[in-house]
Amino acid sequence: MSVLLEVKNLNTGYGDLQILRNITMEVNEGEIVALLGSNGAGKSTFMRTLVGLNRAWSGEVIFNGIKLTNASSEKIVKSGISIVPEGRRLFAGMTVTENLYMGAFANRKNIHERIEKIFQIFPRLFERKDHLAGDLSGGEQQMVAIGRALMNEPKLLLIDEFSLGLAPAVVESLVKVVQDINKSGVSILIVEQDVQMVLEMSQRAYVMEVGTITISGKSSDLINDPKIKQAYLGI
Amino acid sequence: MILQILVNGILLGGFYALIGVGFSLVWGVTNIINLAHGAIALLGSYITYYMFQNLHIDPFITLPVSFIVLYIFGYLVQRYLMNMVVKAQIFMLLILTFGMEIFLVNFMTTFFSADFRSVTPDYAGKSIEIAGVVVPYIRLAVFAICMIVTAIMGFFLEKTWTGKAIRATSLDLEAAMMTGISPRKIYSITFALGSALAGLSGSLLSLTQAFSPNIAGGLTLRAFIVAILGGLGRVEGAFLGGLLLGVIETVSSFYIGESYKNAIAFGLMVFMLIVKPSGLLGRKYYAEVKH
Repeated sequence: MSVLLEVKNLNTGYGDLQILRNITMEVNEGEIVALLGSNGAGKSTFMRTLVGLNRAWSGEVIFNGIKLTNASSEKIVKSGISIVPEGRRLFAGMTVTENLYMGAFANRKNIHERIEKIFQIFPRLFERKDHLAGDLSGGEQQMVAIGRALMNEPKLLLIDEFSLGLAPAVVESLVKVVQDINKSGVSILIVEQDVQMVLEMSQRAYVMEVGTITISGKSSDLINDPKIKQAYLGI
Repeated sequence: MILQILVNGILLGGFYALIGVGFSLVWGVTNIINLAHGAIALLGSYITYYMFQNLHIDPFITLPVSFIVLYIFGYLVQRYLMNMVVKAQIFMLLILTFGMEIFLVNFMTTFFSADFRSVTPDYAGKSIEIAGVVVPYIRLAVFAICMIVTAIMGFFLEKTWTGKAIRATSLDLEAAMMTGISPRKIYSITFALGSALAGLSGSLLSLTQAFSPNIAGGLTLRAFIVAILGGLGRVEGAFLGGLLLGVIETVSSFYIGESYKNAIAFGLMVFMLIVKPSGLLGRKYYAEVKH
């Protein structure tokens, strides 16, 4: 398995406040990798840094052999990284279709075929295609957020807290979708509070505490790790 | 008589809509309240004046020139000046555009003097009379052009990739970046379009009234009121806001007195800010532009 995303000794923060310290991790082609950690551990800051919304102070981000440290978000998206951000961040005043179209802004080939594919994955979105994204339910909005990210035909999909605020049944169906996306050849790096769920769906995981990676390993091992059980699974 | 006043108000409103569209777009997307908007419009007036007076070119033919020259001007200003401070506090941006306004007004005063100028082609005095309402051909043409350009802008923002990227950026800057939109480029295009529309409205203004560099502030204020009335970043809003301001100004000038028209226009703006701060057509999310 070749390495798709490689992060080496990444340091960053806001103003004078350092959030991430020497983060080193990788995502291989075809993998689902989980990033666990409590609130404030720095997971979202890490995701934001990967997509160019936050500047790295030092360290390296290499994607598909290309150095993307502090590249513009435009270049990062074009190189094949998409994100389903925390809080969904849809264009509330645009329709579902327009939101999906915007996902293909950096990569506009076969756009109609791609949008058809999204509607096949999420038939509900086809029914709501002319509605404003801001008027949709939380689950539908998350479908749009995933669909928008997929419109870029990414090699790596970053997913940040996608189950937050959603009904368990909706989360279950979205997990299935994420697994299908992965089977189609897209690597996934997922940040999630629901540790049990994310360890079951991923192959490997990293645990972040106060801006540092403290534990890493196979998800199947971590799910039985007493420390993980105690800290995150409440067992 | 009332019909004539209403028609005059609507014709004036068409101009206000055009000058307001560019201002409102720039404010809604880049969060820059461009205090130099009126001065940029006057650059358009002087382009038309110069070409008509010195090169004897029909003023309507000068419109694309004005549009293109000020598009380039706006693009360069945003790319090499505004983008440097776009993340600064809004107060810094206000000072910057205020400084630019002073610079442009003095530049125009130096080159064209502070005298009032006007563009009066042969057909300036011709008019059409329908049901007792007299409409000068030029004002009718200016109104038609304002409406067409405003409609084209609406189409551009709704249907083209760049237009959609501009809207997306105004709705959520970071989400736009996550889809690969470059805010620097979008800000430059938006400011360029705002300047080009200002220049176009200035060229049209030169056909309907006398102008001098000193009216720049008044034009910016009109654009400001239109943007507040209509709602930020919305073409339909600027269209309605422009017509409303034109009609109210004309009617109040006639019935209450010319000297009260500014007080009434600003009263209207304050009223709108109290009862519906997002403007006539502004929706909640336009008032929550994330930057």
